[in-house]
Amino acid sequence: MGVTLTLPRGEGVSVLRLSLFGTSLAIALAACATREPPPADRLVDDLGHPVALAGPARRIVSLSPSTTELLFAIGAGGSVVGRTRWCDFPPEATSVPSVGDGLNPNLELVLSQKPDLVLFYASAANQGVITRLDGLGLAAASVRLDRLDDVPRVARMLGRLTGAAARADALAARFAAELDSARAAGGAATRPGGDQRTQRVALVSWDNPPIIIGAGSFLTDLIELAGAHNVFDDVARSSAQTGIEAIAARDPDMLLVLGEGIPAFAGRPEWQVVPAVRRRHFVAVQGSEFERPGFRSLEAVRTLRAALSRGPVR
Amino acid sequence: MKWLALGGAAVLALLGAVAVGPAGLSTDTATVAIIRDLRVPRALLAFLVGGSLAVTGAGLQALVRNPLADPYLLGLSGGAGLGAVGAIALHLTSPWVLPASAFVGALAAIVVVYRLGVVTGAVLDTRVLLLAGVVVGAFAAAMMGAIMAVSSAAELRNAFVWLLGGFASASWQTVTVFAAYAAVPVTLIYVTARPLDLLTLGEEPATYLGADVERTKRTVYVAASLLTAAAVAVSGTIGFVGLVVPHAVRLLWGHLHRTLLPAAFLLGGTLLVLADALARTLFAPVELPVGVVTAFVGVPVFVLLLRRWPR
Repeated sequence: MGVTLTLPRGEGVSVLRLSLFGTSLAIALAACATREPPPADRLVDDLGHPVALAGPARRIVSLSPSTTELLFAIGAGGSVVGRTRWCDFPPEATSVPSVGDGLNPNLELVLSQKPDLVLFYASAANQGVITRLDGLGLAAASVRLDRLDDVPRVARMLGRLTGAAARADALAARFAAELDSARAAGGAATRPGGDQRTQRVALVSWDNPPIIIGAGSFLTDLIELAGAHNVFDDVARSSAQTGIEAIAARDPDMLLVLGEGIPAFAGRPEWQVVPAVRRRHFVAVQGSEFERPGFRSLEAVRTLRAALSRGPVR
Repeated sequence: MKWLALGGAAVLALLGAVAVGPAGLSTDTATVAIIRDLRVPRALLAFLVGGSLAVTGAGLQALVRNPLADPYLLGLSGGAGLGAVGAIALHLTSPWVLPASAFVGALAAIVVVYRLGVVTGAVLDTRVLLLAGVVVGAFAAAMMGAIMAVSSAAELRNAFVWLLGGFASASWQTVTVFAAYAAVPVTLIYVTARPLDLLTLGEEPATYLGADVERTKRTVYVAASLLTAAAVAVSGTIGFVGLVVPHAVRLLWGHLHRTLLPAAFLLGGTLLVLADALARTLFAPVELPVGVVTAFVGVPVFVLLLRRWPR
């Protein structure tokens, strides 16, 4: 996930511009430097690839649960004609036909929805499908939506693509302001019993092999905004395989799990070396707001903050 | 001399593996607990699994007279994977669900492959056995793919990561159970060392030379399969060790199974202990899948050995 691609297509466009602007290299360079920002129909996606849309998109296949949720939030839900099987929010989204998986999707199912715009999660796995959509003259946009800071930017971009810019910009500005004030208020979370030190947590998303959430995930944003600290924030990726020893060595106060109650692995002998497991210090949260970043993320922060201050689940 | 070198390497590897890890080496209670309850059982489990896989590979290579044979050849990894994926798709939750379901899946694959391999009466045809193993493995892989495509359990991806192999589940309990269990099939394979030597000449010559070929084949197949099933249950499918270690031992010390089998056990165990220590420490706190490291460590060594392959 999150591979940066350099597409040759963008360079082709600037070469064309250079030749239009005159014969002298100096003039061409000057022209290049003063180039105006692209008009609404010449947006560039998160992989630097221009989105070839003539007007606002009316039939969108959204291949990521986070973009589907944002499209509905900015009032463009009526234009969504296809989604992945993982797109479950808002509930109205589930009445949109599913085209299956979002990564390396089934091109025939995508085309059967007659889209004018296909939204992808920015990943190298989708490159083949995007190239074929280009060949068919269909607009595609890759969106990198991993962290909370990406949410306002992506909301604005989706607003421009769907002609819902006014509402999207307003919501994005409000979210950005709320995010800023939540950051300013950060660190105020308490441990159970009124202890004022920052809680150190590890989010364990799988137990065998142990997989933890790192700094590349919005979940780390949620943890920090909830006033706690992710002990694996030195891991740049969104998630990584680790060992029980590494978790034990960092000795988090709490293990955060997505789900309900104390996970089954708490009963395994090898996990008892982790003090938080031995003491059954688990905090469990669940809900689709913990599965993707979006406008609900600040609500997720409040839920997480409340769960952390309530203390371990029983 | 050979045994001294092999034994020394094994002891050094075990000591080295116990000495390194993200928590370092010190005498405070937390680190002592980590060393006692995580590192030592993990190193021992890696050693036992590596040794078991190497012995299994050596036995199966002699049994089917094919240098490409490895412990997973006979459909076991497919069966184990299907068991694990099926259990997760059914949302079974228990601390032991992955090992238990993988073991049951592997046993099911063994039964099916064995039934297919037994032709006309009680004769185990190793060619049919090979083909049966391949098709059962392919069928299980297809079933896994279908479950992945249809199931809504997002955790299924993690089942595949588990299947890639590793020793995250090592504890004194796992080590004790595995050691007690593995002793029986390892001994059974070792007892057939002499008939296995004869079997490498071909089934007919082996019969003329007095080997009970049918019994040997059944013993080796069943023992190797049961051993692999347990290895998969505690550590997923770790490739390379079972394929390459027996060849390395043959190149270094010859083909007689009486020395080949124990030497392969020691070398396989040593290799896997080293690979796991590297997997844990190279990019700590991020851990590498141990199968990646076995290939990284083992391939260069094996390439050097191949240059000595008898021509």
